Amino acid sequence: MLLPEQMTRILIIGSKDLLPRTVDLLYDLRTVHLVDFPPDVEGFTLGSPLPVASEASGKLLKLRAVEKDLEIKEPKVPEPISSERIRKEIDDAIVSLDIEISDVVGSKTKIQQRLSDLDQKKRDLQPFAALPLDLEMYRDYRNVTVFVGSVRANPDGVLLESLDQFELYTGDENRFVALFVPRSDADEAQRILVQHGFSEVSLPYGTGRPESTLNEIEKEESILRKGLDEVQEKLRKLREKHAAFVLASEEELSIMVGKAETPLRAGATAHSFVMDAWVPSKSLDGLKNLFQMKIGDGVYIGLLEVKDWKDLNEGGKGVVSEEIPTKASNPRPANLFEYLVELISTPRYDEIDPTLIISFFFPLFFGLMVGDVGYGIPFVILGYIGLKKVRSDEWRTIATMLFFGGIFTILFGFFFFGEALGMHFAPSPYGDLTWSGLLGIDLPHQINLGAFSIPIGMFSKLHDVKILLYISMWIGIIHLFIGFGLGFANVAIRRGLRHALFEKLSWILILAGGVFLLLLMVDALILGKPLVVTDLRMLAGVGLLIVGMVIGLRGEGAKVFLELPGLMSNVISYTRLTAIGMSKAGLALAFNSISIEMIAPGGGIMIVFAILVFIVGHLMIFILAIISAGLHGIRLQYVEFFMKFYEGGGLKFNPLKIRRKYTTEV
Amino acid sequence: MALEAGLIAVGAGIAVGLAGLGAGLAEKDVGAAAVGAMAENEKLFGKGLVLMVIPETIVIFGLVMAILLWLKMV
Repeated sequence: MLLPEQMTRILIIGSKDLLPRTVDLLYDLRTVHLVDFPPDVEGFTLGSPLPVASEASGKLLKLRAVEKDLEIKEPKVPEPISSERIRKEIDDAIVSLDIEISDVVGSKTKIQQRLSDLDQKKRDLQPFAALPLDLEMYRDYRNVTVFVGSVRANPDGVLLESLDQFELYTGDENRFVALFVPRSDADEAQRILVQHGFSEVSLPYGTGRPESTLNEIEKEESILRKGLDEVQEKLRKLREKHAAFVLASEEELSIMVGKAETPLRAGATAHSFVMDAWVPSKSLDGLKNLFQMKIGDGVYIGLLEVKDWKDLNEGGKGVVSEEIPTKASNPRPANLFEYLVELISTPRYDEIDPTLIISFFFPLFFGLMVGDVGYGIPFVILGYIGLKKVRSDEWRTIATMLFFGGIFTILFGFFFFGEALGMHFAPSPYGDLTWSGLLGIDLPHQINLGAFSIPIGMFSKLHDVKILLYISMWIGIIHLFIGFGLGFANVAIRRGLRHALFEKLSWILILAGGVFLLLLMVDALILGKPLVVTDLRMLAGVGLLIVGMVIGLRGEGAKVFLELPGLMSNVISYTRLTAIGMSKAGLALAFNSISIEMIAPGGGIMIVFAILVFIVGHLMIFILAIISAGLHGIRLQYVEFFMKFYEGGGLKFNPLKIRRKYTTEV
Repeated sequence: MALEAGLIAVGAGIAVGLAGLGAGLAEKDVGAAAVGAMAENEKLFGKGLVLMVIPETIVIFGLVMAILLWLKMV
């Protein structure tokens, strides 16, 4: 359970005419992780795609063009279509789709082209509308040169000084000019214009006032737009009619192409193929039987090696565990947490998969940090809805965190803290606001069941801080011990017991020593007892510390001294379990007292405001709780816990299989 | 007593405030680099997150100190 599934490496060898059936079978099996055949093996070439590949890719290209023309975007998943129907209809469908669509798409493109031409024309003409001249007046002079363009400043003054004769028109707040000068003065005029940041624009064709031309353009545009709308409507209808089939066909064809190209990953000789693959050992018999049944003796399955932990350990070198795919074997519902581990890195094949442990500790931490029935119930509901509805890995993981975190939140909230929405159930000895006070009945501190009594609220987040800090440190110590234990197991598996003793046992001893010293410190610092050097805990603590450090020194060198304060800060880091609960309790207390104080004197409209403050405040705390408790809960796993043992960098088990969304297989 | 309590409260405030500043200073660099790395390769999210939150322990230390001080006050 903690280890990935055992893998077996196989060779699948057969004659080429059996290749298509073999590929189909491999995809149906869903347990074969194909290894790319190395291209440089003597006597082998890489396989070539099955004959259907090129035809299918051709169709796929056409279909994707249609998809683009129809502007099909990922819609709500339509009714899946059977792949049999698609195979039957696809050829005719592509032809008829092409005919049906090309007209509409053609006219759409034409209209769009014309629209963009007109737009350009309009933009060219716009500045001329500001000048009081007709368009034909800009051209066809024998002795006059015309400059039209934009300037940074009005050249009027300078022109007056240098030229005898000229005619200047300006528009657009002196930024656009038309200058008419005798041809003989053209050079001088150009020089002056350039000094004023002149950039010439081309003269538009046409006659009459630019405004009238502009008007015409706009008229044409509005007609074109109407036409475009009609075409779009036609396209929309076509889209509605064909989207499901196009998407389904694309999926079917992609699957066909994917299958047909699988031989590229296999090796081949003139008449045979060979595939190199990993399968989970326990699926091997099933695979062999199925091949025997469906294909017969034509394909030979050769067993290359069974990768057991012991094999990896032997020799301890030359084994590349990164190349063996890791297939996690976590029972439900712990497997929902697998993505959290993936997020850091896929576990290696010869490494303990921490998913199971996280699936307990993360919700525990989350619950302890929030610890409030009032928030726990919506967590569970939200998480449940999420697990039912969402599909993407990220959101499913968040839903998982909320659901299981919520369960622990309710448990801790009820039994441990005995509170909902920041208020305790039972009357408080400190005179705080409680549900008992609010409802006017005395809720019990505990439920008595014969000899047992079940507590409802043992601690208050704001009043029992000392003991809660202490508890959170102990939880941290347990968590760290487990982390070192896993590290010990990992090193022992990978490099043998001797290494594990030196590398990890040292730390376990040091942590144990620290525990004894912690007990002593609590007595001395918090309870105020005198510190006695010959105290048994002192001797045991220091003794373990020294032994651990000596072992560690041999195993890891002076690094041990550097990492020692790190271990201490790791333990203190777990006090966040209390600190975050406290901060939330403080916020809740504030909002509760504000709203109660608002109700108390006034009544009437104030009640509405008070309820508003109450709702908004608690909603804010609720969201903060998800973010802070979620992030800190994860952080304690990733930083404090994983650093003690986790390496990662494995290869995820990725078997050949088909994912269908728009199609169904018969 | 009032003065003493006030000074303790100020001390607690300084402890958590400065620790928060320190953690923030450290995290801003790590965070910026982590976002940059993620832009290149989304798979680095996990590692980025881990690195990002390492300095954040500093503020927890400050908070614990503040809580211990506050316990002396009440």
